[in-house]
Amino acid sequence: MLETINLSKSFKGKKVVQDLNLYLADGESVGLLGPNGAGKSTTISMISTLIKPTSGRITMNGVNAIDKPGEIRSVSGVVPQELALYQELSAYENLKFFGSIYKLRGKELAKAIQQALEFVGLDDRKKDLVRTYSGGMKRRLNIAAALLHRPQILILDEPTVGIDPQSRNHILEAVRTLNQQDGTTILYTSHYMEEVEQLCDRLYIMDHGKVIAAGTKEELLRILSTEDKIKVEVNKLDEAFVEQVKTIEGVHKIEVTELQLKIIAAKGSSLISKLVHLTEKHHIQLLNFQTETPSLEDVFLHLTGRTLRD
Amino acid sequence: MRSFIKKDLLIFLRDWKELLTVLLLPIVLVVVLNFAFAGLFDSDDEVTMDLQLAVVNQDNESEVLGQLKERLVRDAAFEEQEAKMVAEAAEEIKPVQLLLDYLESDDVKEWVTVHHLEEKAAAEKVNEGDLDSMLIIPQGYTADSLYANITGEPPTSSLIYKIEEETTTSSALQQFIQGFIEQLNYQFAIQEVTDGTGIEAALPKGGLEDIGTAYDFNMTQYFTIALGALFALFVVATVAMKTGVEIRDHIFNRILLANSHPIRFLIGKMAAAVCLIVLQILFVLLVSHFLMGVFPDRSFVFWVGILLMVVLLAFVLSGLAAIYTAVLLRMTSVDAANGIFMLATLLFGTLGGGFFPIYMLPDWLQQIGTWTPNGLFLAILTEWIQFEDPSTIVQTSLYMIGFFFLFTFIGLALFPKRGKAQ
Ligand SMILES: Nc1ncnc2c1ncn2[C@@H]1O[C@H](COP(=O)(O)OP(=O)(O)O)[C@@H](O)[C@H]1O
Ligand SMILES: [Mg+2]
Repeated sequence: MLETINLSKSFKGKKVVQDLNLYLADGESVGLLGPNGAGKSTTISMISTLIKPTSGRITMNGVNAIDKPGEIRSVSGVVPQELALYQELSAYENLKFFGSIYKLRGKELAKAIQQALEFVGLDDRKKDLVRTYSGGMKRRLNIAAALLHRPQILILDEPTVGIDPQSRNHILEAVRTLNQQDGTTILYTSHYMEEVEQLCDRLYIMDHGKVIAAGTKEELLRILSTEDKIKVEVNKLDEAFVEQVKTIEGVHKIEVTELQLKIIAAKGSSLISKLVHLTEKHHIQLLNFQTETPSLEDVFLHLTGRTLRD
Repeated sequence: MRSFIKKDLLIFLRDWKELLTVLLLPIVLVVVLNFAFAGLFDSDDEVTMDLQLAVVNQDNESEVLGQLKERLVRDAAFEEQEAKMVAEAAEEIKPVQLLLDYLESDDVKEWVTVHHLEEKAAAEKVNEGDLDSMLIIPQGYTADSLYANITGEPPTSSLIYKIEEETTTSSALQQFIQGFIEQLNYQFAIQEVTDGTGIEAALPKGGLEDIGTAYDFNMTQYFTIALGALFALFVVATVAMKTGVEIRDHIFNRILLANSHPIRFLIGKMAAAVCLIVLQILFVLLVSHFLMGVFPDRSFVFWVGILLMVVLLAFVLSGLAAIYTAVLLRMTSVDAANGIFMLATLLFGTLGGGFFPIYMLPDWLQQIGTWTPNGLFLAILTEWIQFEDPSTIVQTSLYMIGFFFLFTFIGLALFPKRGKAQ
């Protein structure tokens, strides 16, 4: 339903987002993963029609949404990275105002507020000023404010930064419920790989303003599927043994630390049997043996040479 | 729209520090300044207790009988004979002489020195400050006031009392003259009882027209309205700062995303500013009044006038709030914008006489001062407090309305088209 084509944004000549192609299908849950400064928020601002792209297109059900921002605004709810709340008003008063600007009135408004409050678990504190809330509670209210008009698309920009694990779980659970029970389309931005992994059907990995990989989790992991990572612990080590391991066909890299070997090798190189064979030959005892499953973190590392949180 | 206004009001009212500042600080200042300046003027009063009064008598006593008789016959349908009798009886009263005697009486002589002068000479001396005030007895005054008293019609000519500078003494004299006229009526009443000539005595209406001052205008009143207006400027700056917070915290983006027309945001700000300013100034005026009796014994109409003027100022300042809001949406740095608004507030405040009495400034600065909203408000209220006469403030009020439209227009013109400039 929503699509961006070669979306780019420059600030004072500095390219912050470059040729970004992204689509959201109805009912999907899509993640946008990338380190700080990757251009995620800028992308979100363009998609939610707050800022105009320097070039490229955004379409909503085929309609140009840059000229007609109403197309997206009317069906989307945006949870900004910042806490866009009145600190001096209570949760209830905040939601009442935000609901009223979506032209909700009277009973309809009261019901929407009540549902949103219950949904994020703030019903019992609704009369307290936001100023007195914990970081997690503010984050949850920040989400509630975007739900009042029951949007078809919910766009969340790092909704869990800097909060306690309990609030974080609450938020993740709530987003999942929205997606799976209400069929809300989700665009979820984060630099926490685990969150995106847990929540999203499909994801885009961004770095330096560009999408460097996209697809389902499995598809992305397959980027690493040509390699195996094996950790071996032994009772003793000698030079000759290490040299011989290096000569095994398909081995790319070995890291030696005391009595530990980390081996990265091409998949299907029957590494394990050859290793066992070698240990016997050198009278070395194998103490521990572990193959590691690669994570999206490793995918990012593989693609950029950096970790997500540096 | 209601929700926009409501949230702005709520946010302002929750900020108790700001509330204390704009509500209580001006009152505290009025009280303090009042005491400080009261000391100054008390000592002044003792020195100027001797009032130099010019009396210009343009009335010719020898013509009174003829004039009065003629008018009674012509205008009041008296028989010739009857008119002659009545006029002769009335002439005996000699109100001008009574007034002059009164001014020379021991009570009054203590603090009033009378100078008999021609009008031109008197006016010059008053202007130059040699004399404090002048009393003109116009031609035909005796005949007219007697005629008025006989027929019960309002007099057509009246005593003219002019003062150059308002002092307690000169306005006290005015009260004395008023008292004298009442006494004169008393004389008529006596006449009626003893003489039995059927002359009906009536209180003169508007027997005293004055060109100087009708009511006292004192420093306490000045401070009350000047500080009320000054802090109204602070209310506007605060409303703007809170708008800055809305923008910095991206709340304004939420409003844009709701597809709510951003002009509603602007108009909501203006309406909230009007409410807040009206409440704030009325609070300052009323509390000061009840604490210190700033406006004693004033009529209902007087207070209605005050209310209207306050509302007018609130509208003008809401226009200023619109400009601030539009500027905030255009500037990238909220803090820089707030700095500019504070400077503007201080500038308006100083020029408009908020920090010290405007007449202490040089003339050209005073001129500029009246072109600030608060300075204009001060000028209007000064007139109103003294004369309570709508005709004297029509023009200045129109300027205020002009200010409102000008400010609102600038605010709308500066307001970014899509709500926020990118
Ligand atoms: N309004 C702006 N003006 C100039 N540079 C900006 C602006 N907004 C973002 N940037 C820059 O764009 C880059 C990407 O920012 P952002 O989209 O916020 O990244 P992310 O949300 O992924 O952390 C950053 O280097 C940031 O400094
Ligand atoms: Mg961001």
